[in-house]
Amino acid sequence: MEFVTKNSPHLRRPNANVVRMMRDVAIALSPLVIFAIHQHGLSALWILLVSVVSMVATEYIYYQIIDKLNGEKFTLNNKSFTVYNFSVVVSGLIYGLTLPDQIPLVIVAIGGIIGVFLAKLIFGGMGQNIFNIAAFARVFVVLSFGTALAYTNHVDADLGATALGVLNQDMLNENATNYGFWTMFSGIGLPGSLGETSALLILAGGLYLFMRKSFDVFVPLTYVGTVFILSLAVMFTQDVGFWYPATHVLAGGLLFGAVFMATDPITIPTTRPGRIYFAFGLGVITFIIRLFGNLPEGVVFAILIMNMFVPAIDYHKWATNKFTLKNVSIFTAIVIITVVLTAVGVHYAG
Amino acid sequence: MISKARKVSDYRQLTKELPTLRYVDPERVYINLQSDRCKTYTLDVKEGDKVKLGQVIGERDGGFFKQPIYSTISGEVEGLTKKLHPTGIEVDCVTIRNDFKDEYHESVTDRPESVIDKMTKEEMVDVIRHAATVGLGGSGFPSYIKLDTDKEIHTVVINAVECEPYLSSDYRLIKDSPEEIFYGLKYIMQALKAEKGVIAVKKTKTELIDVLERELKRFPHMNIEIAKLADYYPQGWENEMFENALGIKIPSGVLPMEYGVIGFNVSTASAIYEALKHNLPIIKRHLTVNGDAINFPQNIRVRVGTSIKDLIRLSDGYREDAEKIDLVIGGPMMGTSVEHDDVVVTPTTTSVLVLESQDFHEEPCVRCGSCIYSCPVDIQPVNIMNAIKRNDTKALENLEVGKCIECGLCAYVCTSKIHLTDYMRKGKKLLG
Repeated sequence: MEFVTKNSPHLRRPNANVVRMMRDVAIALSPLVIFAIHQHGLSALWILLVSVVSMVATEYIYYQIIDKLNGEKFTLNNKSFTVYNFSVVVSGLIYGLTLPDQIPLVIVAIGGIIGVFLAKLIFGGMGQNIFNIAAFARVFVVLSFGTALAYTNHVDADLGATALGVLNQDMLNENATNYGFWTMFSGIGLPGSLGETSALLILAGGLYLFMRKSFDVFVPLTYVGTVFILSLAVMFTQDVGFWYPATHVLAGGLLFGAVFMATDPITIPTTRPGRIYFAFGLGVITFIIRLFGNLPEGVVFAILIMNMFVPAIDYHKWATNKFTLKNVSIFTAIVIITVVLTAVGVHYAG
Repeated sequence: MISKARKVSDYRQLTKELPTLRYVDPERVYINLQSDRCKTYTLDVKEGDKVKLGQVIGERDGGFFKQPIYSTISGEVEGLTKKLHPTGIEVDCVTIRNDFKDEYHESVTDRPESVIDKMTKEEMVDVIRHAATVGLGGSGFPSYIKLDTDKEIHTVVINAVECEPYLSSDYRLIKDSPEEIFYGLKYIMQALKAEKGVIAVKKTKTELIDVLERELKRFPHMNIEIAKLADYYPQGWENEMFENALGIKIPSGVLPMEYGVIGFNVSTASAIYEALKHNLPIIKRHLTVNGDAINFPQNIRVRVGTSIKDLIRLSDGYREDAEKIDLVIGGPMMGTSVEHDDVVVTPTTTSVLVLESQDFHEEPCVRCGSCIYSCPVDIQPVNIMNAIKRNDTKALENLEVGKCIECGLCAYVCTSKIHLTDYMRKGKKLLG
């Protein structure tokens, strides 16, 4: 027996560790994986396998080389190699689930390799990345191989367009999106990316993460809430039905991005007010891209754009732990101005 | 886990309902001549001298105050040794061999209640200074300086919250001798001419509330109330306690006396009672021996100056299969771990924790924000850590690292098991 001296505190919170947090995300994603395979068959399985394996393998080889350069021996428990805490597996899964079902596997692999290398490894590995890895990989694929992103339409094989794609083409025409609420909510038979179609399963995953306290629930709530309020404003000023905000919330990658991508703690601000500003910014950017952008999908771009603002939101001169009266009043003013501007903007642009 | 966490998990072997064991007659006591506040001292006795209980044997010098050193037993002086102080520093101690007679020194005389009733603040402060009473919650700050405030005090709060897990010494003190606390509070209120007294206690400790309410009936003419506070950490932090018990929010860096309130620990109140009533310094105190690597956790009433080695032996020693032991003096959240068990019990020693040392696997920070959500003083531990890593003193100033009370919650809640509290200490040092 020997005595060891340590600095206080001498206790640590039980059940709080990175492995648990990341494993929870993987568990929350698993129904989506099963659903994707059920919907799209083996091609979905192959895409997910390739996306995960490409990311894990890139990281593995990278740390092999780094360790060799440092003259160390490689071990599985190496702190930098993050397979043991699921972080790279989760990134790979999320990336795979954002992809369309008809994408060539080569493109999936290239996106995964470039994504994990450029967005994570060269920044210094886990905890150091500025950009959401999955969002970065997905955007890389969109911008580089845009024409390869074809969707299979189960309802009408000729159309091949997602609900949001239709909405983007013909913004205020109700008949353009005739998928129906149940199809949009359950995702059964809905064309779209592998994991983004089933709102039901995404919400179930979010509920699980919330109950396990493995994500900050205020981020998805604010994000989806912002998009909903902005589309409500458009609904009232343009005199369209409730299908319009409902489509905005349920269609595309909004729910998936809000629950699984915007909540990645590494790439979002650290304070609660900061996280709410961040999620509000996400909502506004997503909505603007959806309305006026060239591409139907704004979520991943919004996440990458807001990732860049994280150091500014967290800046020590103004970041506060709690909402102060000053913060609340400025933020409320910004929210009101944004809603008014959106309504006016849609009126003139639409 | 991303969440605010202020509940610190308590130890499964709760000692609070265990009876208090008495161990007041050790073979030898070791009176520390230096302490963390007092570096120099004078010693008036030499080897072979006979001393009595309560006799002044020297004086510690703490710069802005001087403090008499008392013998806590009667017996024979055996010379100087080096022992560890509970704060982990090595100090000179004088050894006194017990003659088991407990002969009181002539200066130890009881003061009748009628005399105390007529005492002025100055007289009381003088008695308390002479009795070397210090803040027994762990600060060790001389109580007479606190009591000698020239601010007008309207409320005296007795801190019986004891929010650190594993500890039960204050709990046992209140259960064993609640009247001392009420008398102590009464004297403090008399000295400060305060109209109101509050005893703050956790609402989950229902048995204590029962004891205190029963005792309160004996003081019907006094304006004392019992504040039942929520059970979370760090409820026992003075400012948190004032806010929840009185609704007064005291900003960091301001003394509570500015707001007309003053706080004393329960043990301090009891020590003030001993000093005024019996003219006695602190010679005995309640102490908890607890932890997962001790065979027999218990509460002990000990003589000040006892070696902790004796107490460990009394608790059946260390668990045999424990390889590495983290011996903590104080609570598990803020206590100091010491190099070996040759430590002397001082008046401020609340507990001895024998913990099996665990190596926490530190992972890269995932910026989950739990430390920010949990911080009781609303600073941002994770951002302070990053500022320290890039040596950014300007950011450290803006992040107000100086507000940190080192309660240990940030390191406790950390998902990645990073020792954030150490970073906070480093940050404070960087700012000077």
